[in-house]
Amino acid sequence: MRLALVAAVLGTPFQIALGQQPPSAPPAMPPGMSGMPGMGPDSSKTPPAASPAPTTAMPGMAGMSGGAMAMPIPMPKGMPMVPGLIGLTPPVASFLPGAGVDPMKLPVVKPTEVARLKNGDTLDLTAMLLRRTIKGRTFVMYGYNGQTPGPLIRVPQNATIIVRFHNRIDLPSSVHWHGVRLDNRYDGAPGVTQAEVRPGDSFEYRVHFPDAGVYWYHPHVREDIEQAMGLFGNMIVDSPDPDYYSPANREQALVFDDLLVNADTLIPFGKEGPDFALMGRVGSVELVNGESRDTLRAKTGEVVRFYLTNVASSRTFNISFGDAPMKVLASDVSRFEREQRVSSVVMAPAERYIVEVRFEHPGRYALVNAVQAINHFAGEFDPEVDTVGIVTVDSAPATPDFGSDFAALRANAAVSRDIDRYRPYFTKPADKHFTLTVDVSALPLATVQFMDVDTAYYAPVEWVDAMPDMNWLSTSKQVHWAIRDDATGKENMDVDWHAAQGSIVKVQIFNDPKSFHPMQHPMHLHGQRMLVVARDGVPNRDLVWKDTVIIPVGSTVDLLIDASNPGAWMMHCHIAEHLGSGMMTILHVDPAAGPPAK
Amino acid sequence: MRGQITRRLRGSRSRARLSVVALVVGLLGPSGPIGPYDIPLYGTPKAPAANGHGRLVYADSPFGVALTKDGHTVYDIQITAAALPAPSSLGAYSTYVAWAATSDLTQWTRLGSVVNGNSIVGPVDLNKFLLVVTAESDSTSATHAGPTVLHGISPSALLQKFLTKPAFHGIAD
Ligand SMILES: [Cu+2]
Repeated sequence: MRLALVAAVLGTPFQIALGQQPPSAPPAMPPGMSGMPGMGPDSSKTPPAASPAPTTAMPGMAGMSGGAMAMPIPMPKGMPMVPGLIGLTPPVASFLPGAGVDPMKLPVVKPTEVARLKNGDTLDLTAMLLRRTIKGRTFVMYGYNGQTPGPLIRVPQNATIIVRFHNRIDLPSSVHWHGVRLDNRYDGAPGVTQAEVRPGDSFEYRVHFPDAGVYWYHPHVREDIEQAMGLFGNMIVDSPDPDYYSPANREQALVFDDLLVNADTLIPFGKEGPDFALMGRVGSVELVNGESRDTLRAKTGEVVRFYLTNVASSRTFNISFGDAPMKVLASDVSRFEREQRVSSVVMAPAERYIVEVRFEHPGRYALVNAVQAINHFAGEFDPEVDTVGIVTVDSAPATPDFGSDFAALRANAAVSRDIDRYRPYFTKPADKHFTLTVDVSALPLATVQFMDVDTAYYAPVEWVDAMPDMNWLSTSKQVHWAIRDDATGKENMDVDWHAAQGSIVKVQIFNDPKSFHPMQHPMHLHGQRMLVVARDGVPNRDLVWKDTVIIPVGSTVDLLIDASNPGAWMMHCHIAEHLGSGMMTILHVDPAAGPPAK
Repeated sequence: MRGQITRRLRGSRSRARLSVVALVVGLLGPSGPIGPYDIPLYGTPKAPAANGHGRLVYADSPFGVALTKDGHTVYDIQITAAALPAPSSLGAYSTYVAWAATSDLTQWTRLGSVVNGNSIVGPVDLNKFLLVVTAESDSTSATHAGPTVLHGISPSALLQKFLTKPAFHGIAD
């Protein structure tokens, strides 16, 4: 457990990276990595479809030996590999961080520190290579300021801070301030709001925090690599109201993630574009705050306020703390209208939830992710429970005792009042209809054969990667995820989508279950806030401002966007490999005075 | 665990929610194309003309996707039924009740009352289940006793078993 983080959040001294000097020189960028985002296809080296395996081990695959390369993907227990896929490899060159760098010369990852900043403060944030040990295996990965998760930025609501970002990794990068309604030019979306920050370069962000809550920052370049390798961190924005949340004895940020490893090796990434393009990369090790088994201590009766963030590339979590009672207070950009008692927290990539948990009895509480996976070969559901942390509760009583506050469920009248002016628009016809779908080409024949017959039932949400072999062999060269504008048929960046600043935009998004490989999509809109007013025609009766919304297969969601923040804002799927396979568009919020003169 | 959640969802708040949903569905109807999460409902010799379908929608949840603690999806079912005869025409019955049954028929859960037209029943949190509508003398009875008039299976029950099939070798015919 991040004792340092716990202590820091509690208000004991902490280190601030103010004025920290970035490391001198970045590692050399490997050949073929230019022209990001998308890292310019290096087609001379890569056949168009899955290729026969080389007879030597893949670069970066230390430990793989023998003749034909073995399948580097750990298959689920009892799951045979599809015979027609044996021996194939994805049609991309492989990439792992820190090629040619002596790992022993890299710093060892440090625990997260809290950077408690006030209005006008400056933070130096450096993306760098580091060494991380997970389940006894040491890997070369990335981190911010030597930490994973990166520094926890804690600021008062309405503060503006300056972040000097220094890119010292071997890929171009940027920093996106997820969920923060800041100035468009600091949104960190290369190709839309800024140029990518090349290795060795820096960029200065001014980050303004208009909303209280928990947010996170991450690169907006090759998220499938950079985020998965450790570039993420939280921001907690404090309301001036000391009674903003139900009182708690303690606060704790928990960042949920996963990492795909096989024995002693990381599974390489696609150099020209993501592999695992069908389902996204689903890790074989689940992580909390970068650890495979987080531990936390509590006192009897203690109420802990958890700030939960899912930074995984693809996995949706279902989190609970043993049988400890829990209530949910807030999500992405606001509190809920009404607190609710919940037995678990369902959290798609990039979503955040703030919950309070009361540990009523001494003993051990397992922090678990529990899902009903599907074994597609057996045609059966397969319960999976992964313990990602342990909370040990001492017999000493917590003081003060917040038991009665915890038992009460608050109604947040201020949230309802804020939403009131949007309610008349809940039932208006949608201004925009999108369909989420996928086109594929040149996938291995065995994959197509299997997928074509496995169509009787689609899981609305894929909780695990039930077909890692097929998934691994699919890349952004073969899989084209699309946000399709129903009115024009245009897709992704070709969609022409404008709204006037101050308008209230209703969008209906349908996740087409009839496509080649339907899957849930956590859709994220930058720079604005939105309400999920209905799912599948059923009105939402406890509203909360969101920036990321999970859309299961076959579902339709009605979103109401508060288009208050001018600029060009991406809307995209937050499964990193879906984004990397094209699944993004732009909402242009034209300034109230009208579009800028050409 | 699931039982607890089912009971919790069946609280008074849940009934209030269902009535709101019922109002909306009553106005709009569960129309539109039959999706992948719809359950075709078939008549029986007791009610050969009866027909309809159920549509799975997520039970109310702050997370949008409603799950139990152990990961079972929790659905409400919007049932559209037609040509149900008067229950009294089948015997000493006054109402129709929807049930979810496990595929081995050992576990039955009462989901709620069904009428011709639109009804909302639930919640159900089984991975695979049969949806059965029976005639009953009491809409609150905990066990099914009367004749079946409609039945169907959850879409998840269509999952196929591929383990033994010698396919997917990647060789085109
Ligand atoms: Cu997606």
